[in-house]
Amino acid sequence: MALLPSGIFFETYRQKKGYIHTRPQWVCFLAFLLVLAFFPSLISSRHLGVVTVMSIILIAVVGLQIPIGYAGQINLGQSAFMGMGAFVTASLAINLNWPVWATIPCGGLGGAFLGAIFALPVMRIKGFYLALTTMTAQVIFPILIMALPDNLFGGAIGLRIEPAKFLGITFNTDRSLYYLNMFVAAIMIFFAFNLVRSRTGRAFMAIRDNDIASELIGINISLYKTLAFFIGAFYAGVAGGLWAYYIRFIGADQFTLYFSIWYVSMLIVGGMGSILGAILGTVFLRSLQEIITYLGPFLVRVFPQMGGGEIWFAGMNILLGVVIVLFLIFEPRGLAHRWAILKTSYRIWPFPYIR
Amino acid sequence: MTDFLIDFSQYTIDGALKGMLYALIALSFVVIYRAGRIFNFAQGEVLVLGGYLVLTFCTLFSLPFWLGLILAILSMAVIGVIIERGIFRPLIGQELFSLIMVTIALIFILQGVTIVIWGGMERPFPFIVAQEPFRVGPFLLNRPILLGGIISLGLIALLSFLFERSRWGLTLTAVAEEHKIAQSLGISVKKAIAIGWAISCILSTVASIIFLNGQAINFTASVIGLQALPVALLAGVESIWGVPLAGLIVGLGEAWAVYFLDPYTGGAMSRIFPYILMLVILLIRPYGLFGWKTIERV
Repeated sequence: MALLPSGIFFETYRQKKGYIHTRPQWVCFLAFLLVLAFFPSLISSRHLGVVTVMSIILIAVVGLQIPIGYAGQINLGQSAFMGMGAFVTASLAINLNWPVWATIPCGGLGGAFLGAIFALPVMRIKGFYLALTTMTAQVIFPILIMALPDNLFGGAIGLRIEPAKFLGITFNTDRSLYYLNMFVAAIMIFFAFNLVRSRTGRAFMAIRDNDIASELIGINISLYKTLAFFIGAFYAGVAGGLWAYYIRFIGADQFTLYFSIWYVSMLIVGGMGSILGAILGTVFLRSLQEIITYLGPFLVRVFPQMGGGEIWFAGMNILLGVVIVLFLIFEPRGLAHRWAILKTSYRIWPFPYIR
Repeated sequence: MTDFLIDFSQYTIDGALKGMLYALIALSFVVIYRAGRIFNFAQGEVLVLGGYLVLTFCTLFSLPFWLGLILAILSMAVIGVIIERGIFRPLIGQELFSLIMVTIALIFILQGVTIVIWGGMERPFPFIVAQEPFRVGPFLLNRPILLGGIISLGLIALLSFLFERSRWGLTLTAVAEEHKIAQSLGISVKKAIAIGWAISCILSTVASIIFLNGQAINFTASVIGLQALPVALLAGVESIWGVPLAGLIVGLGEAWAVYFLDPYTGGAMSRIFPYILMLVILLIRPYGLFGWKTIERV
């Protein structure tokens, strides 16, 4: 926990439970909300699309932080759970004509149940065995989608859905989609912040730190491990539902292992066991990805012997791999830790010794 | 009825041989684990890299096959040592999660590097072994895969002797149990990991020759690593002798799923069958069939 500014002390539990303690913090927070609200007017619509996608991925990554960063259970299937959410959402919207406020939570539940199924081995196994069994979710998912009847999940063709409609607004412009996604992302992140401070969140952390000891003090570890997966996969499912309404054409190839690993890398870069870390990591890696996409044509012109699209793909892969390795070796606690150091050193300035 | 029997036996034989090929690849997972307590997710990419090196030496430099193979195997061993030096040495003693994630990062790096060097297009892989099958009575035996099965059984016997009987292999096994304790006993964890990577890279090159013989190679061939995963897990990643048995189970299970179930599921069942088998067995035996059962204390 970061240091509090000098002169702040609590007289009631209610004050201590708060996130925002001082007036400058309130000012910063409200300014941040204002910037988010007026963001569409500040940037071009292409960049707005980038931010919208970022907010969808943010939900999936914050969800991933719960099983990995808080409960300590490695999950390499987040992208498959997100895909399940997308397909359930799209299928309900197409086949049953359900409105958006019903389909997205149901998509979340769809992802959550798939996650819970693959979390069943979690009661018995741990470590890299778990990483591998969740990875099989990623292998089985596209085969399952292809094998199920076409009118249910679109099979090999994919599903095309109509834009979301809510309260008479049709979400088909960049601006409206931005508000929809940012709104849902804000709610989900709010819940995540509070979940990890609750009894459930503390149980998760106890399991992460030592699962045998936490079983001895009376935590039902099978239940909580499965629950962590369930919640994490619910976040993925909601993200998938939003993705379905954003991209409006979904296929099994949009939810591969490749993306699952991107999401875990965002956690590593941002920092394990911190919701803020999930946010920082997503923004950092996603921006890096966008910068490379932007520079791609330029790079191809400078190195023409390397060929077109493949070099972009290869460069992205090498960059991602190197970033993960560097963070694991030099800053395993991620950007969130750097941010905490920065904040603390600002508060105790001019005294040099921190941590 | 006899037609059914011949068909069924043919599927069974093919499945068993395929299982031995999986076993060879799973062996490269197991060796890295037995020498350094690292589960290498990037094994498929290592295999592709080995395949590309064979392709480069044998076809592009047009060396004789035996020389090309030796050069490819030697350079893969060197690459294995480089990987240990660059990536794993700074992470010795780190928690399990870092060791898992760094091998995943390695997937990306190796994939990117192969694309940068050899491009993303498919290239024909040379025929190292003649392709036409053996004919035994009414059955056809796929020659490269048969050869692969024999090689993998030989390698398994050799490695199992090394790891379980020789003093040198036992020090590696100690590293697989716990880095810190091994280090405090004076065993060099760095050397163990380097040896594990070198052996595993060599095994992957051999597997790539058998797997890719006469086919096309590009970076997507690394899926074979994913297909061999259930075998390594079923065996329990510590067990060298468990690997051929698990390979047999997965190979036969897959072949029979193709024969009996695929007509009803449109080809889906045989592809997910190994994974379902693996999940069920892990639920019953969390450390695989022959893995070490560790007792944990608080």
